[in-house]
Amino acid sequence: MNGISTSGRHEESCHLIAIEAESRIFSRLRAAIAWQTLRSMLSEARLRLALIVLLSAVFWALLYSLFFEAFSFLDSIHADVISLLFNAFFSSLMIMLVFSTGILLYGNMYCSPETRLLLTLPIRPEAIFAHKFIDAMWFSSWGFVLLGSPMLVAYGVVRGAPWTFYVLLLPFMVSFALIPASVGAMLCMAVVAWLGRLRMHALAMLLAIAGAGAVWLGWSLLSSAAAGGVTAEWFDTVITRLSIAEQKFLPSWWLASGLIEAARWGAQPEARFASLSEAGKFLAVLVSNGMLLSLLARRLARSSYRTGFSELVSEMPARRQRQIAWFDEALSAAGTASGRPMRLLLVKDLRLFRRDIAQWSQFAIFFGLLGLYFFNLRAFHYNVAYASMISFLNLAVAGLILSTFTTRFVYPMISLEGRRFWILGLLPVHRDQIVWSKFLFSFIGGVLPCCGLLCLSDSMLGISPALLGVHEICGVVLCMGLSGIAVGLGAWMPDLREPSPAKIAAGFGGTLCLVLSSLFIVSVVTVAAVPTYLAMAGEAFGGGGPSSVGIFGWASGPLGTATSLLIVGVLGAIATFVPLQLGLQSFRQLEP
Amino acid sequence: MIEFDHVTRTYGPKPAVTDLSLSIPRGELFALLGPNGAGKTTTIKMLVGLLRPSRGAVRISGHDLVKETRAAHLHTGYVPDEPTLYDKLTGREFLWFIADMFGMPRSIAAEKIGREIDHFELTEFADDLAESYSLGMRQRLVFAAALLHDPDVLVLDEPMVGLDPRSVRIVKDLLKSRTREGMTVFMSTHTLAMAEELADRVGIMVRGQLRFLGTIAELRDQVATEHTSLENLYLELTTVQPVVPPGTTPAEATGTP
Repeated sequence: MNGISTSGRHEESCHLIAIEAESRIFSRLRAAIAWQTLRSMLSEARLRLALIVLLSAVFWALLYSLFFEAFSFLDSIHADVISLLFNAFFSSLMIMLVFSTGILLYGNMYCSPETRLLLTLPIRPEAIFAHKFIDAMWFSSWGFVLLGSPMLVAYGVVRGAPWTFYVLLLPFMVSFALIPASVGAMLCMAVVAWLGRLRMHALAMLLAIAGAGAVWLGWSLLSSAAAGGVTAEWFDTVITRLSIAEQKFLPSWWLASGLIEAARWGAQPEARFASLSEAGKFLAVLVSNGMLLSLLARRLARSSYRTGFSELVSEMPARRQRQIAWFDEALSAAGTASGRPMRLLLVKDLRLFRRDIAQWSQFAIFFGLLGLYFFNLRAFHYNVAYASMISFLNLAVAGLILSTFTTRFVYPMISLEGRRFWILGLLPVHRDQIVWSKFLFSFIGGVLPCCGLLCLSDSMLGISPALLGVHEICGVVLCMGLSGIAVGLGAWMPDLREPSPAKIAAGFGGTLCLVLSSLFIVSVVTVAAVPTYLAMAGEAFGGGGPSSVGIFGWASGPLGTATSLLIVGVLGAIATFVPLQLGLQSFRQLEP
Repeated sequence: MIEFDHVTRTYGPKPAVTDLSLSIPRGELFALLGPNGAGKTTTIKMLVGLLRPSRGAVRISGHDLVKETRAAHLHTGYVPDEPTLYDKLTGREFLWFIADMFGMPRSIAAEKIGREIDHFELTEFADDLAESYSLGMRQRLVFAAALLHDPDVLVLDEPMVGLDPRSVRIVKDLLKSRTREGMTVFMSTHTLAMAEELADRVGIMVRGQLRFLGTIAELRDQVATEHTSLENLYLELTTVQPVVPPGTTPAEATGTP
């Protein structure tokens, strides 16, 4: 015990630091990590980065032009509707941001190795919370920026907004996002600290309440349509029902009102100043509430984070009852011996899916809501032409919902094998089989609900069997293509180090997957809809229109339908096999 | 330096650690042994503040881990069984991050970072991103980070996992020299030989309770003469009745007041 005293050396070399210093250190840490990540991408994946930027720009431009047309139309008929739509959009977004931030923060704060390191350092729990909160808020809000910015810029252009509107957009969006993100964070910490084992039930209940609210709203709108069809009265009813979102105590109202005020460009300087100062007031309300709520979230972190973490760490995993999963057994045993490895991989993924509540609950909620909507389509009494159009829109909606699942859950599947790669690497399984098994899993899992829903939609709309057949073929092609894009890109650019599927999906590869999936859906639905559209145009022109002669007549007939299906098939083959080929090549050479 | 005062921790209804009372003085290297599921990791997690005791208190340098968590952490260095680093930081940047969090003045931090980089032979890769490190390199960097602020207490959870023989020797020498200088080491390990070589005292934990507490020499004295190896002795302790020194109760054996 001789020599220099450790305690003496210790005291002169370190001390507890102020919270501002902790925040500065975390800021430096985030900046360093962001810089290194950017450098790595620029040096190792320039082409991929350029492709993602380009496609994101295309996606942004498409959204911009779509919103521009929509706002121009609405501005000309009913300018007040815009306020209502803003309120409905931002309030829905607010609820989604509460849940997404809460769920992301749960993973970031309670399940990440980083927080296990940070909690053993002399750092305040609220500083760790703030560090992880920024991370979660960024990941949950990027979609809001991607969707919201083209919409708001289009609105500003249509309304001839002053330059101050565009300057204020970012502060408005950030201060708004801070409010639901803080609420989500507080909910997350409160549920973990005080509900412990019941947290999954609490989350399910909250989701069920939100879902029930959405169903109630949808049902009430549909039932009112059922009573008298889609008329001016029905439109008024919709406006009245949607006005539920227009509540002055909601941050979504502050945001919508602030943006509308900021976009005003009065004839007189006084009027301009008045609008700007009103917008400033709304921004101040958003900022002050956002800051207050984030402060409250920090306070909650100070008092509950360590306790909650401790409770979670000490939880025993639920013991699973040993049950004979007859389906798993049957799937493993069926077929030839050579195909058994792939079937076993499928069974493994199926088990993981069944045991991951986040996956199957979201799958059930979204497809359930879609089913409910399709089931009520009969209420609208559409004419044949209009019903055909709606049926194609439903095809696009089913595809878009499926694409969110393939991006969120299927795309990260290969990446998530990273830590288990040594197991797969040592098994007598060809690497191609791993990729193909993921593709089959995604395709089979998607095609059944998708085609079932399309069948329901067309039955409710009274669509002809021939068109139903077209939709079903398109549904199969969409499922194949979306699975090919998600699995192919997932294998082409895997992130074997990231354990969080949400972060993998939210990264560049996931974004690219979503963008390509959306383009693919739009292409397939557009091509498939052309013959129907031409037939409708022909009927509208009373038989003397463009569909009755030459190329139009041919395109709206059986040959046109066959050709469009052929093109759909080619698009599907490209979307399926090109990404899969890229993924297979990359995955064969992968060195984890 | 380290004090467990009637500490109990349950996982739901199941006790993981039961009424643990243990005091480890300054400059002692204590090794905690036990089979899988014995409660070693729970004990370590309570010692580093990741887990709170259901009952009782854990103190480091007189600071309660629940009431004065930060003050206790200021005196603690921790090497977990699975090293956690930021992949997009270099080894040197990671050490700077740790030094900043411990409030070390820049000049002292620079000197100590240089010292630990030399001790653990990190010079070659200190400026590479941690994502390129092998398990052994990561473990050495975590050791360097844990010792950077000259802690009074060093907590090690299976510290030699992933280290090559040369690194193992470096760590062993360092532990010996630091304990001579007054640092207290609490080490959880499965490696009996290492406990035998390094530990001043050992504790053997089974099903959340200390079955034995004492020096290796005392441990040898407690077994029948036919046992010739520490391994046999350890296996017997972890599978049969608790061994209590003659004339003492289990509470006395564990040093409980």
